Amino acid sequence: MASGARCPFWPRPMESLRFDPFTSATTLMLATTSVVLAWLMYRAQRRVQAARRYLMSVCDALDAGSPQEELLPSPELANAGDGWAHLLRRVSRTLTDHVTQAADAEAARSTLDLRCRKAIFEQERMAAIIASIPEPIVAIDAYDEVVIANRSAEELLQLDGRAAGSRALENITRCERLITLFGETRKRRLHGIRSEPIELENAQGERRWYNVTISTLAADRPNPNDRRGGGMVAVLRDISDQRELQRQHAEFVSSASHEMKAPLSGIKAYVELLADAPDEATRESFLEVINAQSDRLQRLVENLLNIARIEAGVVRVSKQSQGLNELLSEAANVIQPSADAKQIALRYEPSPLYLSVLVDRDMMLQAAINLLSNAVKYTAEGGSVILRSRLNDDQVIFEVEDTGVGLSKEDCAKIFNKFYRVDKDKNMAPGTGLGLALAKSIVEEVHGGRLSVSSTLGVGSKFTVILPLAGRGNNSTP
Amino acid sequence: MAKRILLCDDDVTITSAARYKLAQAGYDVQCASDGLAGWEAIQACSPDLLITDCQMPRLNGLQLIARIREVPLLAELPIFLLTGKGFELPHDELKQRFNLRAVLDKPFSPRELLKLVNQALAHEPVAPSP
Repeated sequence: MASGARCPFWPRPMESLRFDPFTSATTLMLATTSVVLAWLMYRAQRRVQAARRYLMSVCDALDAGSPQEELLPSPELANAGDGWAHLLRRVSRTLTDHVTQAADAEAARSTLDLRCRKAIFEQERMAAIIASIPEPIVAIDAYDEVVIANRSAEELLQLDGRAAGSRALENITRCERLITLFGETRKRRLHGIRSEPIELENAQGERRWYNVTISTLAADRPNPNDRRGGGMVAVLRDISDQRELQRQHAEFVSSASHEMKAPLSGIKAYVELLADAPDEATRESFLEVINAQSDRLQRLVENLLNIARIEAGVVRVSKQSQGLNELLSEAANVIQPSADAKQIALRYEPSPLYLSVLVDRDMMLQAAINLLSNAVKYTAEGGSVILRSRLNDDQVIFEVEDTGVGLSKEDCAKIFNKFYRVDKDKNMAPGTGLGLALAKSIVEEVHGGRLSVSSTLGVGSKFTVILPLAGRGNNSTP
Repeated sequence: MAKRILLCDDDVTITSAARYKLAQAGYDVQCASDGLAGWEAIQACSPDLLITDCQMPRLNGLQLIARIREVPLLAELPIFLLTGKGFELPHDELKQRFNLRAVLDKPFSPRELLKLVNQALAHEPVAPSP
């Protein structure tokens, strides 16, 4: 390069680039310092990156779940001996502890949440169960405030849930008897269960009997030392039907004993008269009465036993497919002498079809005889009784129609009751009051048929028996 | 003149047995088959003593007695009640309430009945004829 020429990158002339010891030393020192600084920066950067990687791996490990073992810093950091590794391990442990605690707290919260949901579900289920129970249930606490009352209880006890300010039992119900029962139980410190029947008017205005069972809740005491006692639960069970059954049973026993005492009285009285009878003819006449009364008692006992057997389901039934017309003809023949004695025209009008029925012959014959006998008994002399049979779709019907005294609507409703006899007709004929009850049991309970009555007072009655047709009837005449 | 007894029962066997026993003892015995017939017979024949069943058609024994006791002239008429009902009717209460001489349970003894009738009518004046 020519003297004086200038390098485009070096502002000074080229000639100035000559060796200068001072400048060279400085330059060397600067270069060395730069290299050392660069190396130091490089190392620092490497550690920061190692620290970052370590913290990242700790975070990743925590994200993946609580680490089982502590993560250690890389040897690069561990061997540095400048406290970084210690600091980072401390940070790591603190972070791990916090995360573990947070996870435990979350698990505990989840468990608690689950228990709360379960408790709420159980409570709702219990409330639903109590609400669905048809028996009225009302529970009070130690301060006589209603804590639970299902809908049945609200309706029956007319609980006014909207009573302002108070749920005290005496403020929200008018059922004095229940308030008294709770009060007595608390006052006498009665423990366990007590029951008592009470009469209440239900929501429909009917007076019905309820058995109130009060149970004391020993655990439901705000203070174990409180002498006042805990809460109580009352369950009210409607026992009206049960009482009605008991009444009917007592009435049945009373009627049965009364009906049996009548022939028994006759027998006992005539046995005594027999002993004092003055002559043979009188003795004969008394013996006839005793015999007749014995027969009456026997019939009564047999009818009672038959009904009881049918009701208890212990009667031996032998059902066979047979023609109804033949059976009815036999029944008419049995009753014919009684009808003749009263100049009653007993007409039999059988169906021209063969009516096949699946029946116990003896029992159905008894039912038909009872119906015919009843018709003849309560039809005045010169009247008529018609027995007819017919087919109606898949049913066989036979009817006993008379021109007798007839029945009122009230009597029609009760005529099949055991021992029921129409007062005004009692003198027309002797009877046990069991014949129609037995016929109904035979037709309905034994054969699954139906026996009903239609009647007009003073005109006559018609008893109708409907039985299912057995198999297929044919058109042959009986 | 024989003292008159009215027998009121819907069971013919009972009335015939009692009638025979009392008639044998010399009483004039009339019979009625239900409460209403009994009430009519009381007005028609003025009995000295009434023997009535409890359970009868039309008018039962207690209704008949209640009707009788409403009439001042019949307030002291001796009445025997025959009953086939057992536990339902407390005898002492009935005797006191209706001023009854006796309450007899069925079955009854005609001899016992005659004895009670004799006792009841021993001091009773004969009722005037209707």
